[in-house]
Amino acid sequence: MQDSNRKPRRSDGKNNRSLFRRTIFLLVVLGVGMFLPLVAQLYKLQIVEHDEWEKRAANQQTKSVTVSANRGTIYDSEGRAMAMSATVYKLILSPMGVLDSIDEEKYKDEADKLDEAAYKQALYDRRKLIVDWLVDTFDYDEEKLWDRIEYTASAYEVLARELEEEDAEKVRKFTSENQISGLLYLTPDSKRYYPYSSIGSHILGFMSQTKDSGDSKVGAQGIEARYEDVLSGELGRVVTSKNGWGAEMISGYEMYFDAQNGYDVHLTMDERIQAMLEQTLAEGIESYDVQKGAFGMAINPQTGAVLAMASTPDFDPNNYNKIINEDLQRELDAVAAEKGEDSDEYYKALGEAQLKQRYNRTLTDAYEPGSVFKPITVSIGLEEGIISLEDHFQCNGSKVVVQGGRPINCHKKTGHGDQTLTKAVGNSCNVALMTIAERLGGDLMWKYFEDYGLFDKTGIDIGGEGVKQFWTEDQFKSLIGTTYRATSSFGQGFKILPTQMMMSFAAVINGGHLLQPYLVQSITDQDGNNVFYHEAQEVRQVISESTSEKMRGILESVVANDSGHNATVSGYRIGGKTGTSEMLDRRTKDDPNNDDVMCSFMGFAPADNPQVLVLVVYDTPKRSAPRSSVTAAGTYISGGNIAAPMAGALIGNILDYMGIEKQYSSDELAGGDSPMPYVVGKELTVAKTAIQSAGFECRTVGTGSIVTHQIPAAGVSIPKGSNVILYLGDDAPEAQVEVPDLKGMTPTAAKVALEDKGLFMRAAGVVDYTDSTNSAVTQSVDVGTMVSPGTVIDVRFVGKVNDYG
Amino acid sequence: MARKAKRDLTIEQQLARGPIDLPFLALVMILVAIGLIMVLSASYASAMYNMTPKITNTKGDPLYYFKRQFGFAVLGVVAMFVISKIDYQHFRWMSVFVLGASIVLMALVFVPGIGKSGGGAQRWVNIFGIRFQPSEIAKVGVIMFFAAGLSKRSSQLGPPKKWSKRTFTGRMAARLDSVGLLELVPYGIVLVVVLGIIAMQHHMSGMVLVIVAAASVLFAAGVSLVWFGLGGAAVGGALWFIITQTEYMTQRIRIWQDPTSDLQGDGFQPWQSRIAIGSGGLLGKGLGNSQQKYLFLPEEHNDYIFSVVCEELGIVGACVIMALFALLIIRGYWLALHARDRFGTLLVVGITSLLAFQTFFNIGVVTGFLPPTGISLPFFSYGGTALAIQLAEMGMVLSVSRQIAAPKAE
Repeated sequence: MQDSNRKPRRSDGKNNRSLFRRTIFLLVVLGVGMFLPLVAQLYKLQIVEHDEWEKRAANQQTKSVTVSANRGTIYDSEGRAMAMSATVYKLILSPMGVLDSIDEEKYKDEADKLDEAAYKQALYDRRKLIVDWLVDTFDYDEEKLWDRIEYTASAYEVLARELEEEDAEKVRKFTSENQISGLLYLTPDSKRYYPYSSIGSHILGFMSQTKDSGDSKVGAQGIEARYEDVLSGELGRVVTSKNGWGAEMISGYEMYFDAQNGYDVHLTMDERIQAMLEQTLAEGIESYDVQKGAFGMAINPQTGAVLAMASTPDFDPNNYNKIINEDLQRELDAVAAEKGEDSDEYYKALGEAQLKQRYNRTLTDAYEPGSVFKPITVSIGLEEGIISLEDHFQCNGSKVVVQGGRPINCHKKTGHGDQTLTKAVGNSCNVALMTIAERLGGDLMWKYFEDYGLFDKTGIDIGGEGVKQFWTEDQFKSLIGTTYRATSSFGQGFKILPTQMMMSFAAVINGGHLLQPYLVQSITDQDGNNVFYHEAQEVRQVISESTSEKMRGILESVVANDSGHNATVSGYRIGGKTGTSEMLDRRTKDDPNNDDVMCSFMGFAPADNPQVLVLVVYDTPKRSAPRSSVTAAGTYISGGNIAAPMAGALIGNILDYMGIEKQYSSDELAGGDSPMPYVVGKELTVAKTAIQSAGFECRTVGTGSIVTHQIPAAGVSIPKGSNVILYLGDDAPEAQVEVPDLKGMTPTAAKVALEDKGLFMRAAGVVDYTDSTNSAVTQSVDVGTMVSPGTVIDVRFVGKVNDYG
Repeated sequence: MARKAKRDLTIEQQLARGPIDLPFLALVMILVAIGLIMVLSASYASAMYNMTPKITNTKGDPLYYFKRQFGFAVLGVVAMFVISKIDYQHFRWMSVFVLGASIVLMALVFVPGIGKSGGGAQRWVNIFGIRFQPSEIAKVGVIMFFAAGLSKRSSQLGPPKKWSKRTFTGRMAARLDSVGLLELVPYGIVLVVVLGIIAMQHHMSGMVLVIVAAASVLFAAGVSLVWFGLGGAAVGGALWFIITQTEYMTQRIRIWQDPTSDLQGDGFQPWQSRIAIGSGGLLGKGLGNSQQKYLFLPEEHNDYIFSVVCEELGIVGACVIMALFALLIIRGYWLALHARDRFGTLLVVGITSLLAFQTFFNIGVVTGFLPPTGISLPFFSYGGTALAIQLAEMGMVLSVSRQIAAPKAE
């Protein structure tokens, strides 16, 4: 039966249109639309964020192994290696490796059951083997070692750093014999050696770990720090690809970045001169019982090259935390005795002592230069034509600089009277200097002080330059500044760095050139090619050559005739200036009666063409009693009496070392050396004639007419005027004689004392046989030493000069 | 068997001997070829390192995966041609058997000795040494069954079935019939059975693909959009519930958004995939130069093979491959539109949609656009039987293409 009324619910056409439309819809959505977000997502990952993902990929896909670079060597000016690196080893223990090295499987029976006792015993045996050997060989703490080897979470326990080759060899032998190379092993490391230990330590610096350096050490202080980048070179890297399990891939790519070894640094410092300077400081501290250390510096005033720079106490860069200064150690011992070695006080004191040893006063510690500064003021006056060499200055012992104000004293309360300019500097007269300052006025003084570099850093090529303390320009030029200007003229009331003082003084004597001081002469690569060479850097010309020449003359006269006389070295023309500065700023509430004094001497030679400029400063020689003006030995406490003789000797030694020829005046020639003629076997009268014509005197021992022995032997050079000994008859000289103590003797007394023993004296320094104030300060052979008769002893004398102030 | 002369053939038989669609065939062959090359490149490292000796022991042969994939590709291409020769009208009756067989096979998964677990879920069977997922066949079965059934929709209507108006059930049935729900019942039952078994295999991605394949056939067949709206709402609601209410899914969604939150665990794979893709850049590192395949990226030759494609060939290479997929899909729908009858159209729509969704889900997951599910990339991902079945499906499309009437010569 058919129901014709009933139509299909949908016509075929309608149905097919729907099919068509819906299929088109699917085509558009699935064939096109769906891909759009995917492309967008790829664009985001591959184009927009590409760099990030690539970095992440590189991070996990590559392995970078560093290749160490050798640190450059630091040489002194003569090519002596002051700092060098050598390979040492780190000793590593892997407790995890020790645990894993005992294979559990071996201690399992067929039923897979572990024989625990046997396994534990095997593990214990292996640990004991290692621990016992380490304790035997390196004396490690056994208990601590057991703790470490049982800490099996760790695979990297550093047992020792800086193991030397000799010890490393022992480790290698032990591990290979017992086949435990992976459990106890060595990794190469580098260690810095300083063959001259503490010499030049403040210049060289040292190596230490810092927060950022991690396991390796970097330069701290001095050249090591400033030239860290140059010396350290660049670590090399080998970058290899690795797979997801961390293994290196054989076929993967590899990139090499070669290690760049560090460059060598060549200093201007000369180890010999540095040693001489340090020796001079140490001797002075000893001789004058100096309380607060000493510092000094030597430069080439023509270039600014620093030849030596020293400050006490110093340290040994090989072991920079060790206290090597005896006084500091004594203080520490006292703290340790009182509070105990584990106390906080002790550690605090230790830390302070360590810092003190590393403190380079020459560069860091501003000081009042005192009278050493006077040539600066004088040079300004001469340069500006405000004063001349012909000018006379009257000193009545004090000068009133501000009307109605308190007079400022000269060190000589009775006054120096009428003096030429040269003499005024020679006398170190404060009144004369205040007069010059008055004539100069604030503007000129300020301008020249600025030109002399007092307000700038010197620009030296190591770190640690301190800060000066000076009045502001307004203060200095104001009415109230009159007093400041007056005291500044003779170097008091302000503080500058010793290095600054040095460079300003160099400008005074070298033709007026203010130079930049420097320590690094050149830097060379591994093949010895210069990658850097320092040319002298002139900051500016401060005064003219002619003014500088006048200044050299004045300063030579200071040494030849006046307050600097104790710096005399016969054969050399030395110029210089003494300084005695009262440390008024140390007079604080806690220490109201402080009477610390810095005794200094700035000297140069040869005076006509300075090759070396030296500053030596002793901080507070001990007074014989409070308020006394002399040391226990009776030496007047002043730059001229304490620092000048030390600096003079130092200058003489440096010039000798530099090979600068001595030029004797005719007087000095008369006192020169002469060879001893051969007189044995001759008649006494003949012998005496020969000896006198050689410039000697003689005395005889024994009786007879024929000379049987002579002291000294023929051909030996001894100073003219020496009293040689002729033996007559059976008397013979003693084989050995003892060197007497000459300290404090006058030249005559010293000569007699030596000749009495059959020894001869070569006098140096201030030697006037008629002046009873001259006294011996040092002798070349120590008291009590046994020497052969005829030995010449060098004795240095000082005179007493009045330069206190 | 001697080939019959053309004149001896029925019209039906003549039609079935028409030319196959060359553009579609060419696109399939290009994608298979590129896919094989990429499998070689991607699997090389893990085959060499023998990553999973317990599942597939490669014995360190770097070409292990490639050789097997190549073998199945050859097999698949042969199958594709053989199937393309079959008059697709036969697929109507075959559909019942394909569907039935797949349901039986899926049930076999749970039979010890035949069923194999892999990746934590029971979804493999091992028959005559061939290991495969019966759910792959189920997808085709569902498409064939739905297409066959729904193609008869309008013609079958004829006189509508009369429902007794006296009984309540009869009235209800008439009502349901009038809104078009009743005709959906058999499909619903098939779908529930198939999905139920797949769900028992914990095979989420398999379920998703069966749903979208079935839905696309139903959609094209003209089922009222209301049902899609309701079905979509139901699925959406279920998804919302799962995502927000179950710890497991919220965790997965969080890792999807930010793989770094669990880099050592579930975030590792998506993160490594993004590193591979991102580091590829514009032009990639060059074919064979992937670094990520060296044991960083898990499943680099399976589900995540597209990451290696992006890393080695860059966004340019990836877009070219996506364009090939897009062209294949568009050509598929074009063939569907020109098919001789509704069955052909619906069959091709189903197969093409399945391919399209699979491509979209895989690339979406790999690039981090979609949350991670394990759907492989057609023609690319390693898996011999899956490739062969895919090619067989392409063969069905080609078979349909043979009966498209040639454009009239002008």
